[in-house]
Amino acid sequence: MISLQHVTKTYKNDVTALDDVSIEIEKGEFVFLVGPSGSGKSSSLRLLLREEDPSSGEVFVAGKNLAKLSTWSGVPKLRRNLGTVFQDFKLLQDKTVFENVSFALEVIGKPKHVIDQRVPEILEYVGLGAKLNNYPDELSGGEQQRVSIARACVNRPLVLLADEPTGNLDPNTSVDIMRLLDKVNKIGTTVVMATHDQAIVDAMRKRVIELDNGKVVRDQSRGVYS
Amino acid sequence: MRRVEYYFRETASGIRRNGTIAFGAVMTAFIALFLFGLALLIRREVDLVIENITGNVQIAVYLDDTIKPETISQLQETIKALPAVATVDYEDQQAACDRAKALFAGRPEIIENVSCSTFPTSLRVNLKDTSQFGQVTSALGCQQSEGAKLDCTSPGVLEMWDYRSFLDRLNAIATFLSVGLFALAVIMLVSAVVLVANTLRMGMFARRKEISIMRLVGATNWRIRVPFLIEGGAEALFGAGLAIVFLFLGKVFLVDQLASQLLWLPLVRNSDVLGVLPWIIIAAVAVAGVAGTVGMRRYLDV
Repeated sequence: MISLQHVTKTYKNDVTALDDVSIEIEKGEFVFLVGPSGSGKSSSLRLLLREEDPSSGEVFVAGKNLAKLSTWSGVPKLRRNLGTVFQDFKLLQDKTVFENVSFALEVIGKPKHVIDQRVPEILEYVGLGAKLNNYPDELSGGEQQRVSIARACVNRPLVLLADEPTGNLDPNTSVDIMRLLDKVNKIGTTVVMATHDQAIVDAMRKRVIELDNGKVVRDQSRGVYS
Repeated sequence: MRRVEYYFRETASGIRRNGTIAFGAVMTAFIALFLFGLALLIRREVDLVIENITGNVQIAVYLDDTIKPETISQLQETIKALPAVATVDYEDQQAACDRAKALFAGRPEIIENVSCSTFPTSLRVNLKDTSQFGQVTSALGCQQSEGAKLDCTSPGVLEMWDYRSFLDRLNAIATFLSVGLFALAVIMLVSAVVLVANTLRMGMFARRKEISIMRLVGATNWRIRVPFLIEGGAEALFGAGLAIVFLFLGKVFLVDQLASQLLWLPLVRNSDVLGVLPWIIIAAVAVAGVAGTVGMRRYLDV
């Protein structure tokens, strides 16, 4: 599903974020990317989203070589297959829970009947069926992250990319969010999660890829944080 | 349908969001397009004056009413044979009368009491080389009498009018006026482009979070850009609408007032104002297009 082949990413100021990284991730896997700040976790996710291009090497997602995608149609299509979740939720404060999720479908041109069916369905799925008309600032951090997961999943992506999704949450809430991500994974979505959260990684017992200084230093199935 | 609705909803909220700046852009576009239209209308007015006075020829040879048809064709042959002459056309009373009627079509009070039999017949001459005017005068035995008028000895010829210097002067004035106004219009159009581009940028900045999410969930470039393009287009076209309204108001309240005092002049008609509308709209679309390209360059690429 995801393949990085000898990927190196060097920024203009000569900082090497990734150094000859090769990673294969199969369909339906749940993978943790761990490592200290600056080890290359976020860079890897940005490469998968094609927000950046690698300096060398190749990136494949769902069989497509990202370097060959056109900005006008290829990249948007790629991103419709990738759900993304961030530490800071990235919700629009002036839109309700329903509108935040429907926005993701609206801007890719989905018809109203699809939106009206899928949005309540996914919000029910993440456990927010009763809060459709609330605004983000009326929700707890955990609930806001659920909205962002709903937004990421509403278009039924093949892959869910999560960048420190529990970074702003307390431990109990984090566990709830992990249960939800696990549930999303169980229905066939490949999940790639960059995290610092040792307790979570240890508890989940999933595949762990550890990056340090831009290199893969460990790739272990059913691993722990360190 | 839903898509169209989406675009217009986004556009409306964009214009509402930065109202004063959008207002500035609309006003600049308005002034720019108004000057542009004014320049076109002045050019049109000068053309009408030239046509009225000279009938679009450099030399008019007025003929005696009693002239015989064979004399006319003989004169025509003589002039036609001169190397400096490009065209010679005979205009009879009816044609002269029709031309005047067409010219003053907007002001029937001037023309309706005039009988066609009072119009002179003439040969209307254009030169290939205006400096070789002497060829025509000597062929017809004409000598300057006063100003642009020449008296002629050739039988059947009443008099000759030399419109060359008049045409040159009028054209010079017209060119000066319209080039000046065009230059002003271009400066204002450039300002309009900058201001419209600026409102687009402000709008994009205000909505950078939405835009980043749109990109993330796979909205296409067009999906992201079109609301801004429509916003720029709406501002420019609104400016064009104001310019058109003010040109018509100027026509009705200034030009039509002058008409009673300038009886001898044909003035621009409503249809002439109508004729510049497409150009104003084309200019407005160009302003919006350039502003969109400039405003969104390297800002919104996926």
